[in-house]
Amino acid sequence: MSDGVTEKVLAIVALVKRIPREKISLDSALQELGLDSLDTIVLLSELEDQFKISISDDEARAIRSVRDIVEGIRRLTGNLSADSAAAPAD
Amino acid sequence: MSGRRRVAVTGLGVICALGHNLAEFWAALREGRSGIAPIHSVDVSKLRFQNGAEVRGYDPGAHFEPERTGLLDRFAQFALLAAREALLDSGLMLSPELGERTAVVCGSCLGGQTTQDAGFVELYRQDRGRVHPLSIPRIMANAGACQISMEFGTTGPAFTVSTACSSANHAIGHAFRMVRSGEAEAAVAGGSEAPFSFGLLKAWEAMRVIAPDTCRPFSRDRRGMILGEGGAMLVLEPFEAARARGAKIYAEIAGFGMSSDAHHITQPSVEGPARAMRAALSDAQICPEQIGYINAHGTGTPGNDPAETSAIREVFGAHVGRLPVSSTKSMHGHALGAAGALEAVATVMALREHILPPTANFTEPDPECDLDVIPHRARAAEVECALSNSFAFGGLNAVLAFRAYSA
Repeated sequence: MSDGVTEKVLAIVALVKRIPREKISLDSALQELGLDSLDTIVLLSELEDQFKISISDDEARAIRSVRDIVEGIRRLTGNLSADSAAAPAD
Repeated sequence: MSGRRRVAVTGLGVICALGHNLAEFWAALREGRSGIAPIHSVDVSKLRFQNGAEVRGYDPGAHFEPERTGLLDRFAQFALLAAREALLDSGLMLSPELGERTAVVCGSCLGGQTTQDAGFVELYRQDRGRVHPLSIPRIMANAGACQISMEFGTTGPAFTVSTACSSANHAIGHAFRMVRSGEAEAAVAGGSEAPFSFGLLKAWEAMRVIAPDTCRPFSRDRRGMILGEGGAMLVLEPFEAARARGAKIYAEIAGFGMSSDAHHITQPSVEGPARAMRAALSDAQICPEQIGYINAHGTGTPGNDPAETSAIREVFGAHVGRLPVSSTKSMHGHALGAAGALEAVATVMALREHILPPTANFTEPDPECDLDVIPHRARAAEVECALSNSFAFGGLNAVLAFRAYSA
């Protein structure tokens, strides 16, 4: 499942939490990565910005792992290829 | 004069989603009627939430001359209207001598942010090149306090306290201490807020703490808070002076307790609020068993309500079984810097009228919030003492203790 969406999400998580991308996998739990409630708010905002989507509070509350984010974004973008969207800023 | 004087509440004034005066406010609270409705003043089509507790049917022109409204942001208008009602209600005659010994202490989280938002839209979006020439005196957070002091000619200490959602409790608490110590012979204290602008609502949206439906404090399916607006003021006087002039005494403020969590900028702790409640009880020299009602901070967020429940359980132990607790934010919304003032008025009226206002919009109990939350319907109860809790982002806690009036 290592495609455009996944790569982009991994990059955004790394950017928001300021951790090396290699330390993050699809199965990483956000809590394990050290994201607290405020980090999560910033992450959600960055995801909405980069993927041009709106993530509801209920969807946001259900997110536990990087995989949850990737799957959620696929749903919200209708499986739109992430490669067609702008790359995240480094 | 020094030492500890008893402090009486002799006047109340309110404007909020539940009404434009004390009578309307109290009627709604005792009927358990919520003022939460679709937001009118801001286009919500680009927001994830649509509901708020706005002041409806409000015409500034009915209360202020046109040249005055140019100087007054909505939050300062609410402060003035509440102060007018409270001072009229108190019957206090502010002679120049008494005016010099009268304090004005107001809470506000945001100041005149609706003026700032509108000005910046003109500047950045309309490219107008200028903002309203009186933007600064409208925006400054102390506008409510200074406008009250100017209108009523009070020349004693006047200031604004800004501690987010605890602002009004900190304001009332400091006014209480000034009257108790003899530093002031009277005080007008409370808070006001007008948070409805598109920019600020977007900021709250990003925090993900606003409910998409309504405010359901302590319910299992609560989904967050609902923003409110308004103002509320209390007139405080030394108990003996109030009695000597034959004033109507609503209740006494008996104590005030503060603490800070030093923990997290948004996540509440249990220990900080518990310490503030204990400090208020200790300051009032009353024991937990004398408290018969708590007006909770009760925001309806997933985080606050269980933490506040644990704090109440920690302080009151077995007495919790006989301690009704309600959140009137379920009706007047969360008016941020005005919240504590609205809730102080609700608590004072509960003590005076022997009616405990309910928690509206309650659905089903949450095992993590296992308190007697007075769901839906007000309850008749003669209570000796009551607390009103306010806990702010940043972990700044302020708790007021009230005692029912008895000569």
